[in-house]
Amino acid sequence: MASITIKDMSVSYNKGKSYVLDKLNLEIKDGEFCVFLGPSGCGKSTAMHCIAGLLEPIDGQIHFGEDMMTEIVNGKKKTFVPPQERNIAMVFQEYALYPNMTVRKNMSFALETKKAPKEEIAKRVDYMAKMLSIDHLLDRRPAELSGGQRQRVALGRALVRDPQVFLLDEPLGNLDAKLRDQVRYELKKIQTQLGITTIYVTHDQTEAMTMADHIVLLKDGHIMQQGTPNDLYDHPSNEFVAGFLGTPQINMFDCQVVEEKGGLMLDAGSFCLPAPAELVECLRPYVGKNVHLGIRPSDMEMRPDGAIKAHVDSIEPLGDAYLIYVRIGEKVVVFKYAGETAPEETELCLAPNVSKLHLFDPATEERINA
Amino acid sequence: MQENLSIERSKEGQAAQTVRIKPKWHMVALHIVYYLIMVAFILFYMLPFWGAVMTSFKTNDSVMSTTPVTPPTEWTLDGYAKALDELGVPLLNSLAVTLFGAAGSVFLGSICAYALSKWKFKLNNVFFIALVAATYLPFQAILIPLLRTIKDLDLYDNIWGLVLVHSVFGMPMCTTMMRGYYADVPDALIRQAMVDGNGMWQIYRKIVLPNTKIATITVFVFQCTSIWNEMLFALVLGGFDSKPATIALNELAGTMAAEFNVQMAGSLILALPMLIIYIFMGKYLISGQMSGAVTAS
Repeated sequence: MASITIKDMSVSYNKGKSYVLDKLNLEIKDGEFCVFLGPSGCGKSTAMHCIAGLLEPIDGQIHFGEDMMTEIVNGKKKTFVPPQERNIAMVFQEYALYPNMTVRKNMSFALETKKAPKEEIAKRVDYMAKMLSIDHLLDRRPAELSGGQRQRVALGRALVRDPQVFLLDEPLGNLDAKLRDQVRYELKKIQTQLGITTIYVTHDQTEAMTMADHIVLLKDGHIMQQGTPNDLYDHPSNEFVAGFLGTPQINMFDCQVVEEKGGLMLDAGSFCLPAPAELVECLRPYVGKNVHLGIRPSDMEMRPDGAIKAHVDSIEPLGDAYLIYVRIGEKVVVFKYAGETAPEETELCLAPNVSKLHLFDPATEERINA
Repeated sequence: MQENLSIERSKEGQAAQTVRIKPKWHMVALHIVYYLIMVAFILFYMLPFWGAVMTSFKTNDSVMSTTPVTPPTEWTLDGYAKALDELGVPLLNSLAVTLFGAAGSVFLGSICAYALSKWKFKLNNVFFIALVAATYLPFQAILIPLLRTIKDLDLYDNIWGLVLVHSVFGMPMCTTMMRGYYADVPDALIRQAMVDGNGMWQIYRKIVLPNTKIATITVFVFQCTSIWNEMLFALVLGGFDSKPATIALNELAGTMAAEFNVQMAGSLILALPMLIIYIFMGKYLISGQMSGAVTAS
């Protein structure tokens, strides 16, 4: 088990003409469950492959605890520990099960390579197979398994080992929704039990929010924000983070900051909100200018005295709540209503939770309020 | 009422089962033409083979007095006995050269193909182009220096000389063929094996080779056929003691010009091992050709 430190790591596939990862700096604590989250092409899998030693960055350092794994200075390799010597276990999105081996052999292969005692290998494989409900499949070959079973074998193969670091590259991508929830729960439980530093790559924010101790949100090779799931959700540092996390997406309004009777107002055209006292200071430099106001769907409620007049467009029942799509002026926004029955009115008055407003600078897209 | 209904339905069902679309007359005519052409080709290809088989079972007198395609009036194995007498040792030489030569070229080709398809290194493509170019090298152009080299190595008139030459000269073709098969082994498998603690050689031995058995068999059979039938290297480097069967058969034709039954028996004996390999390995060869179409996972 080890902490992972990445310093100024850059990756380029075309000798520095463009960067897939640009001066990445990251600290993952020992035993932490860290999720690399981001849209396709953001560099999250690339970062993981560099940590595994499957890819050489053109610059930067990677440490596992005190041990230097990769050190490349201006394209010159100073230290590079090959993947087979890094003591890592990895699960690939495409399963990568050895077709010529049975499930048992697939799971025991790495331990056999390490020349672990046979009884120990059998014990660990049986335990993990039982845990992942694949104990009846141990004598089958990968071609005889369904997608979900293959995925569980791939997970089991990584989990039977006792590595310094677990690397999981979208391991639940091919499971159906029910199985995904189950394996997600099992995976988190096992990781907590074993206490092994884990990096998990996904583009699924639900997986990230539910499993991570630490989320690293990437875009175009840069870290947009990192922190606990609640940090990122409650205090997104920019519009991208605010938009990426949360289902349905955050509602964004273009508002002008106006001064009225000594106070500040946020004028969105179709509605006007008084700026809460705690936001006045940070909004003061924007008087007469525009800001972007973000309100999460769960942070709006129906209230007779609500300042936002909305016309109901459509209603989506979720079982325990409703997603209500409303038109505010020309803009369609969504809010979550937790009532037992859907509202019958077509014209609603909505009030945002003022302590949960998110304000962004339109030019930099950075967060304004603390 | 219900019974009536079910009876009607079953009648309809039977009618539906027995309905056949009547082929149009021009389709029938086209099929007849296809079959006639196929039969003509079969006759064209099989006639010499038939003639060889019939001649091999004739006595020498009967060969002179009948056409080659006429079945013998008196069946005899004299031709085979004589041919085996002449070809015995050369056949064993051929067998040794073929098996070891094919194994050597497949082994070397397989390692080269693995390195070229699965490992990125500088000038990777240059090496591959050089290898492909080597497959087009006319052997006649390098025969004299090759002979001198083999003599310097003291391998002239030695089956190991021929094994060495076939291993080396077969390697580019084996590399070219196997590179295509190995490219189909998913890179994720290689990466996974690396993460599982395996080095380059272990990955080749434990992952790549077991997952490309059919490709190896296909290339091995291909090499066996070409080495078994090869004559140029055998003639120049084979000498007397280690001459392979192709040379001995040629000498059979030269020294016993009139004994066609012996020559034909010798030819058939020489063709037999490859024929047996193709019959038994046929299914592997076909699936070997197809194996490039799907991934190994």
